Amino acid sequence: MLLEIQNLSKVYGVSCGECLDLTGVADDSCICPVCDSVVAMNRVSLSLDGKEVLGIVGESGSGKSTLLQLIYQDQCPDNGRIFYNGFCDRHGVPLNIFEASVSECSVLRNKEMSMIYQNPRMGLNYLFSAGGNIAEKIIGAGERSYEVVRNRVIELMGRLELPTSRVDNYPDTFSGGQQQRIQIAKALSSSPKLLLLDEPTTGLDLSVQAKLLDLIKELQKEMGFAMIIVSHDLGVINHLTDVTMVMKHGCLVEYGLTDQILEDPQQPYTQLLVSSIL
Amino acid sequence: MNESVFAFMDEDAKKEIRRTLLKAVAIPGYTVPFASREMPVARGWGTGGLQITLSLLLKRDCIKVIDQGCDGSVNAVNIRDFIASVSGVKQTFSTREATIIQTRHRIPEHKLAEGQILVFQVPYPEVLTTVEPDTEKQKQMHADSDYSKLWVLLYEDTSQFGDSRISNRYPVEVEDHYVMDPSPIPKYDIPRLNNSPALLLFGAGREKRIYAIPPYTKVEPLKFSDRPFKVETFAGKRCGRCGADNVFLDEVRQGTTSLYFCSDTEYCDSILTEQGDVTGNTESE
Repeated sequence: MLLEIQNLSKVYGVSCGECLDLTGVADDSCICPVCDSVVAMNRVSLSLDGKEVLGIVGESGSGKSTLLQLIYQDQCPDNGRIFYNGFCDRHGVPLNIFEASVSECSVLRNKEMSMIYQNPRMGLNYLFSAGGNIAEKIIGAGERSYEVVRNRVIELMGRLELPTSRVDNYPDTFSGGQQQRIQIAKALSSSPKLLLLDEPTTGLDLSVQAKLLDLIKELQKEMGFAMIIVSHDLGVINHLTDVTMVMKHGCLVEYGLTDQILEDPQQPYTQLLVSSIL
Repeated sequence: MNESVFAFMDEDAKKEIRRTLLKAVAIPGYTVPFASREMPVARGWGTGGLQITLSLLLKRDCIKVIDQGCDGSVNAVNIRDFIASVSGVKQTFSTREATIIQTRHRIPEHKLAEGQILVFQVPYPEVLTTVEPDTEKQKQMHADSDYSKLWVLLYEDTSQFGDSRISNRYPVEVEDHYVMDPSPIPKYDIPRLNNSPALLLFGAGREKRIYAIPPYTKVEPLKFSDRPFKVETFAGKRCGRCGADNVFLDEVRQGTTSLYFCSDTEYCDSILTEQGDVTGNTESE
């Protein structure tokens, strides 16, 4: 087991204490009727194997991105625990990542996990060169040899079909698709075991989307990392993932093999979602 | 009523600074905020160093003040005169004799000894400002010892220019944790911060920060493992006054020719004294 999520909840606003029970799919709302807090994540439990590819689908505001941000420690949950394979305290007891210190978590963020944001502006520093952005992650993972860093940067850029002669140019001189590939190169540079993708191809041209998805799939097979992909595009989910979870109002609606979810959805919401594809 | 306080500041102010200094010494390289009182010189003119010096002064101390290595420049003279006038302590040019040395942008050439205190005047105490303007994030990065953004600057300079372009204020890592700004000393002085027998104190009056390197602390410049740290070299050049060739030299342009002199004037004088020439006549030009 690479990742184990237990009973994860996140409420935006001051919770009245009963928000989790008063919201959800059955109530058809994620806004608490008592205190007006927004429940972004309602007792979600989940586990992920190494090399598994998980897709998260759901409408806007269903909590997909919040889940990724919680895993990547961009946010803190109100409740729940996340365990990561091999992440233990001094006595070898598995450590909940939300109880770990910031310095303990920095290993997770810099080496074990990588996040790819929908907008490359979130994931890249535009004051650094393309190569510098990729180097930041390699250096953050502990590499201190210039030659090793430089060669790895150039190798990754080549691997992602970026012109290596432009390694010292700044990100905003690259096209949108290229910027997204710089972000992916940066994410992969520390050889992570878990890649988190938040709508990685939304906003890109269709032909570029297809190429990028093929590339991600190829790299995943080659490097063997696990992935969690958030998308509202069922085509992307179908193309890339092994298992899929469907979310609505912060709740886990349905979970299963991607083929099964798309071909034979059980829950009414999933049926609606699948049937609404053109 | 006319009796003035010893060393200008009241005892409470001095106590606050000494407490800050204790914390700074306890956490080498960590910048500690302090109140930074008004001084009779404008902020940015050495008030951080001045406040540290005044808070540490004892009647038996002997004070030396240098500006870029020089005892005789206007700022050095004024600060030294001020300190002596408000405390009555002895003033000196001699690095060896001084117990407290306040400095701007240089470390004296003579090796410092145990028991001596070197007080640096610091204009910009926060090393991360160039890569991260947000103070809250800076604090988090210091806590995590996350300096990868500084390393990226080093990486970019190395890939485009072959080496770091930083000539002074070169970032140093203290005791394998905090990276700090060593004040605008030249790269030449950076290796001399390491394992220093003297206590090194840093005061930024305008920015209200104090930090320290206790004696015998490991201080290393940020550098890649496969790239050497290069300091200024003066190969083939020597001081036009005392003839020293193993020191940091200042270049003085005269028309098309350049003359070189010791940046540390007291070191230059001491070499001349050893040679028996106290007048300090320059060599023929």
